[in-house]
Amino acid sequence: MTTAPASTATTLTLVGGSHRTVPLELRERLAFSTEQAAAALGRFRDRFPGCEAVLLSTCNRVELYAAGEPESAALEAASLVSFLADCRGLETARLEPVISRVQDEAVVRHLFGVAAGLDSMVLGEPQILGQVKQAWTLAREAGTVGPLTAGMFQAALRAAKRVTNETGVGRERTSIPSVAVADFAAAVFETFADKRVLLIGAGKMATETLRYLREAGARDVTVLNRTASRAVELAARLAARPAAFTDLADELAAADLVVSTTGAEESVVSLEAFREIASRREGRPLVVLDLAVPRDFDPQIGDLPNVWLYSVDDLAAACDANRKSRQREMPAALAIIEEETLRFMADMHHRTTAPVIEQLKAGWSETGEAELERLFRRLPDLGETEQTEIRQAFERYAAKLLHPPLVSLRSESRSGPPHGLVDALKRLFQLGE
Amino acid sequence: MFLSGISVVCFAASYAVALGCEASRLLFRSGVRSMVMVGFASAGLLAHTLYLGWRAAAESAVPLSSPADLYLLLAWLLAAGYLWLTLANPRTPVGLFLLPIVLVLVGVATFAPDVPSPLLQDSTSRAWGWFHAALHLVWTVAVVLGAVAGAMWLIQAGRLARKRPPTRGFRMPSLERLALVMHRTLAIAAWAAAAAFVSGIILNAIQYRRGAAESVPWTDLVIVRMGIMVLWLIVADGVALALRRRPRGDRVTAWLAVVSLLVLAGWIAWGFAIPSRHGGSAARPVVALVEVAR
Repeated sequence: MTTAPASTATTLTLVGGSHRTVPLELRERLAFSTEQAAAALGRFRDRFPGCEAVLLSTCNRVELYAAGEPESAALEAASLVSFLADCRGLETARLEPVISRVQDEAVVRHLFGVAAGLDSMVLGEPQILGQVKQAWTLAREAGTVGPLTAGMFQAALRAAKRVTNETGVGRERTSIPSVAVADFAAAVFETFADKRVLLIGAGKMATETLRYLREAGARDVTVLNRTASRAVELAARLAARPAAFTDLADELAAADLVVSTTGAEESVVSLEAFREIASRREGRPLVVLDLAVPRDFDPQIGDLPNVWLYSVDDLAAACDANRKSRQREMPAALAIIEEETLRFMADMHHRTTAPVIEQLKAGWSETGEAELERLFRRLPDLGETEQTEIRQAFERYAAKLLHPPLVSLRSESRSGPPHGLVDALKRLFQLGE
Repeated sequence: MFLSGISVVCFAASYAVALGCEASRLLFRSGVRSMVMVGFASAGLLAHTLYLGWRAAAESAVPLSSPADLYLLLAWLLAAGYLWLTLANPRTPVGLFLLPIVLVLVGVATFAPDVPSPLLQDSTSRAWGWFHAALHLVWTVAVVLGAVAGAMWLIQAGRLARKRPPTRGFRMPSLERLALVMHRTLAIAAWAAAAAFVSGIILNAIQYRRGAAESVPWTDLVIVRMGIMVLWLIVADGVALALRRRPRGDRVTAWLAVVSLLVLAGWIAWGFAIPSRHGGSAARPVVALVEVAR
């Protein structure tokens, strides 16, 4: 691990791009696998010794966070862009127009927002937090994490946790299968363990919905397809029971939840046909997730009592409402990010005063010790207890004298590095560089 | 004495604060709200328990046998139920439904006669009296819980029919679970009310053998009133049972459960209007409320 001193002025730089700035085609070429990221960090360590770096690479973003001395070459955005291009075998000129460059406080604010999912394609999605953790772990293993990046990534995880706990940014679901299961089917049924699930057709959306249903406890699943062999094949793949399409009415009469995604050009189940089926259901509720376009179920079936029919449009509208609900939480989330950013920056600025404070304390302690030695020589009759009491009184006196300047330094750190105060202290107390 | 300093206002105010916290779920998120809500509800329940304990110790006749005490006991049971349900299901705003009923019952208790029953003088009568009162508590609690489940079922079904995602801070239990609660509470209410009615008749018959002056007259409107309530609950449960396997069965049951609460409210109001030898003197004048508050 590098040991870049955090005590002196350290600068942060970020270069990278996300779905907002980099086209998909270029993003695919720029993306790093875990092995490639580890190798790139190794190259960074050799190329920019003494500097810190964390590389975050996901489907939607590639970002290189670097920290070091202000005069370090690693902190020049151009060097970092060139480094990224070299690592991925791209021409720097291709990256230049789409790569973002951010410095210092803006880097912290950006990382905190990214970790909280505020910069994600799906606002508030939780996977990004795991990816941020993974990037940090990888950098630690590669030995490119230092005090500044370590502090910044730990603070990012804290900020993301606060956003999750204190706002609803990541709470409501936004994908059609998850909304269908969690917000609608689970509102009808207490458990899916004793429910019969019927899949009519097996489009991508249906299999994704089935994944959520399985997670929610669904066990009894039947797959129905126009082609019998296809039904058998799908059933084997989805760990379900196959059924012939001719049994549709019987299967509907027995089912509790239907996920339908056939490619039929007309309704598969008409209102009249369903009325006959409903009479055999003994009033049991039925949830129908009609994910086909055009729809497989006559929409009027949804008006029948105890039938809860949802089309793709219905579910998409619910997803949209949830997305808007997440958006409404943005101001609260951004306020948390701002608060955490300012706190981190104040801590970072305050750390730059550490050498001066240490010198000041050491100087006072040295003077105090010399005075105490002189005093104890002149008063040889003092016992050990009295000497200890006097020594403690000196220490308390020095601490009380030091307290106001320390408070002033901390307070000044909130609005930036307290260079003025530090210089004044150096001159007043004749401290070295 | 410290306990005598606890008044109805103490726990009513605590429950009101808990209700305010519940209502704020609809407006904003908060990390500390649950703690504040549970804290106030617990404090209210503790004060409520101490108040009832003090009342039981201070009464000269049968403890907690006055209508006022019974309403306070009912409110206590519902408040305890609220606390338990909230701790078990923190995301369900059950307090929005239960706490207003608790507060209304506390309010009703302040108007209700607070003289312990003078009729129950020997141990047999007292045992029957306690049994009779306990059954009253069981069926009234069942009616209230059933009505809450019914109201939640109607809200949840309305949301599902409108195809809207759940409202923030207003996530209801599943229809399946609510239907189960509605059916069970309606059945418990009907059977417990019938048993309360029969036990009351037996108790009165025991008293009547000792002399007409120590019993409630058979023509007393309290008996008629209870008979009507029992009849309603049995019919409601019968209808719910008959429609259980019909497509609209749960919806009808939900309405029956909600209407049962309204019938209960009418039943209580009727009790205030009619003079009776059952359960102490007539309703207290408003002036007496000041004393209760003290």
